[in-house]
Amino acid sequence: MQSELFDPGDRVAIGASGGKDSTVLAYVMKTLNERYQYGLELFLLSIDEGITGYRDDSLETVKRNQQQYDMPLKILSYDELYGWTMDAIVSQVGRKNNCTFCGVFRRQALDRGAAMLNVDHIVTGHNADDIAETVLMNIMRGDIARLGRCTAICTQGEDTVRRSKPFKYAYEKEIVMYAYFKKLDYFSTECIYSPDAYRGHARAFLKDLEAARPSAIIDIIHSGEAFEVKKEVKATQKVQRKYPPGASESNALCKACTLLEGLERGMADSGTTDRGRKRLDEAGPAPENIRTIPYFKLPSGSPAIAVETPS
Amino acid sequence: MASCDNPNVDSDALMTRRQKYDGKTKICVKCKEGAGNIVIRYAVYCKTCFFPLIQMRFKKSLEPSINPVPDGARRKTLKAGGSLVVAFSGGTGSTALLDLVAKTYFPVRNNGETLKGGKDHPRNADQGVWKGKPAVCYVEVCGAFPGEKDRTEEIQNMVQRYLGQPFEYIPLRLEDSFDPMWWSTIRGGESASFARTLRLDMTDEDLRLTEASSSSFNDSPLNRLKAYLSSLPTQTAFHSAIQNLIRLLLLHIAASRKASHLLLGTSLTSLSVNLISGISQGTGFSVSEEAKEEWYPQPGRGMPVRVIRPLRDIGMKECAMWDWWCGLRVDGQTRHLNGSWKHAIGALARDFIFGLETDYPATVSTIARTCAKLAPKHGSEGTCVLCERPAQDGVQEWKSRISIRSYSEASSAVSGNTRPPHLNEEEISNLTKPSASSTPANSSLTPHLCYACHTLLTSRSNRGTSAPLPTGRAAEKISLPVWVNATLAASRSPGGDEDSTPGEVVQTIKMRRVDMKSQISELLLADD
Repeated sequence: MQSELFDPGDRVAIGASGGKDSTVLAYVMKTLNERYQYGLELFLLSIDEGITGYRDDSLETVKRNQQQYDMPLKILSYDELYGWTMDAIVSQVGRKNNCTFCGVFRRQALDRGAAMLNVDHIVTGHNADDIAETVLMNIMRGDIARLGRCTAICTQGEDTVRRSKPFKYAYEKEIVMYAYFKKLDYFSTECIYSPDAYRGHARAFLKDLEAARPSAIIDIIHSGEAFEVKKEVKATQKVQRKYPPGASESNALCKACTLLEGLERGMADSGTTDRGRKRLDEAGPAPENIRTIPYFKLPSGSPAIAVETPS
Repeated sequence: MASCDNPNVDSDALMTRRQKYDGKTKICVKCKEGAGNIVIRYAVYCKTCFFPLIQMRFKKSLEPSINPVPDGARRKTLKAGGSLVVAFSGGTGSTALLDLVAKTYFPVRNNGETLKGGKDHPRNADQGVWKGKPAVCYVEVCGAFPGEKDRTEEIQNMVQRYLGQPFEYIPLRLEDSFDPMWWSTIRGGESASFARTLRLDMTDEDLRLTEASSSSFNDSPLNRLKAYLSSLPTQTAFHSAIQNLIRLLLLHIAASRKASHLLLGTSLTSLSVNLISGISQGTGFSVSEEAKEEWYPQPGRGMPVRVIRPLRDIGMKECAMWDWWCGLRVDGQTRHLNGSWKHAIGALARDFIFGLETDYPATVSTIARTCAKLAPKHGSEGTCVLCERPAQDGVQEWKSRISIRSYSEASSAVSGNTRPPHLNEEEISNLTKPSASSTPANSSLTPHLCYACHTLLTSRSNRGTSAPLPTGRAAEKISLPVWVNATLAASRSPGGDEDSTPGEVVQTIKMRRVDMKSQISELLLADD
């Protein structure tokens, strides 16, 4: 409430995966919206990455939530947007770098979904454990840019919709307990394509910290909020390139398009390594017949797409 | 097939381990001649090149901070503003540090060696980098660990092996932090602030302070230390409180010796452990102080002390190799590995970083380099009385904003449904009544603490504390370290600091001609 995330009349999309966090988030948002007359128009927005045995089951949960919470639902699939499912991507790139593709595509897909629904705001179910883990991971990876912004409750890029994490201070345990006592319906599984040993170390460490002193998670978040990147370091930081090297604004591709071009041309590492990028550049311009992400034109007024409304 | 030869494990699912060292040969990367003896971050070095490499990194970390004003690129003579105190625990890092300091800045002159340029040459007249006699300071912590042996003499023997070097050995004890006599000695006989002493009520989250008479000093400092440590709510707090006490003892002894530099033997590995451990305990605001700190004693109490960690670019493995190849005896402690200690956040961070150092060696230095790029975000509200580091504004507001700490606050903020469903109206109304013993701000320790120290004293765990309180001790009357007592007593006394004075009192009086003339009388020419 004190973060003043919403204004009356806002159209808000809830990033729904069918897991515990987003299910509880949808329930709490709906409950508070009705109880305190926030005046928000709520939508469920799901991304189908196309992972057999993982996403297809959890999407069933989202569809049930749509009925239970009486909210419009939009499911946007990688297949529909990019012509590739994660299963197909993994079969080409292997398991090592597949998270890069999934992360970049999901971010863009959420933005596309938000634009299709014509919403002002996306809320996601990231909880305190996720934020604390991200703070630790960014320190261990030396990712100064992300470390500076990962504890912000609300972020907004130049050309993206506002994103918020209302469960920033809610422990995973509290969310699970809430779901249990409220008898909420959710799907629990780990992504089958993310054997990230490094993140696993950090997660296990965080759980040990929490067992030693439960406030550790919130203490890490407080630490993350209390520091910032030194001004002199910020000044020397390179501005993140919007376009690949050598590309001008007129022929530039965003990260998602670069990755997609690499996939289409059978050179998937062009989006993840400099060597791969060089190889792609040497192979000449992209053929005409490859799939690309169509330009999106924002429809004026109310959403121009069909959303699944509860029957 | 996977590297573990298990055909059932998918090779893609495992991270391929990088080769232990870069390149194809085991030849030293520096001299390109000698056979390699040690691998440091994937690079092979021979024993001959190892020593100058470590000494160069040591000097690179220390020397830019020696002169009071940095020289910039054109380095001039090294001349510190005060004396030197080296902290020594007998562990791997501090043993290497003391050896490096002795060999680099206090080399023993052979009998037959003649001075270049004569004894009055400026080069020889005042050779020392630091003023006065350098001190080696050891803090004995056995008082906090029943059954642990006192190592003061052993450590003294370790320091005395530097024959011919001018080191003065200063043994301290952890209980000195609760000893007014020690405090009086280092503050030049000052003891006025102990006319009244404060006791802390650890049973209450408000951390109320009460005054006790000076007769309470009959209790020994060791008993007061034990009561303080036993009253802490978690193993983590116990461990961190000891670290805090050691740090403050060293800083105060350094200030009392007019030291400009306090050197700690924190290696790169230990620094990363401290950083991760600190961040996990909420010290994000002072994260930059962990690597490089300039500590100011109370106003008028002397020059600032620079706390330098000259081994911050050298891993623990390299420190151990230095000790081994120089034939130095290390008297390490292994208490962290045993018993309930392994459940403290400090010990967990240590295990975590040591594990990472084996599997991902670059991560340890990445942690230190990343944290070196951080600075506090908001303004500081002053200094925490417990750790004497900058304290952030609005800590208590932040804590009350993110959690329901009392039903009275919750019920005033929103109505109805946020009330606990398991309680009836009467029970809620009892809970929401303002406490009769609500404490005024000046009788609570809370406003004087930083986030981490407040959390240290109040955050609980179901694993409980380390030890029961000594017999005859109540958790409502816990003594505080002497510097906390002195700071709070000064702020409470009339004419103390700005906390106790209500503001500047102004009186307006019409000036008479005579008074006006008297003020400028020295400037007026005498009437003839």
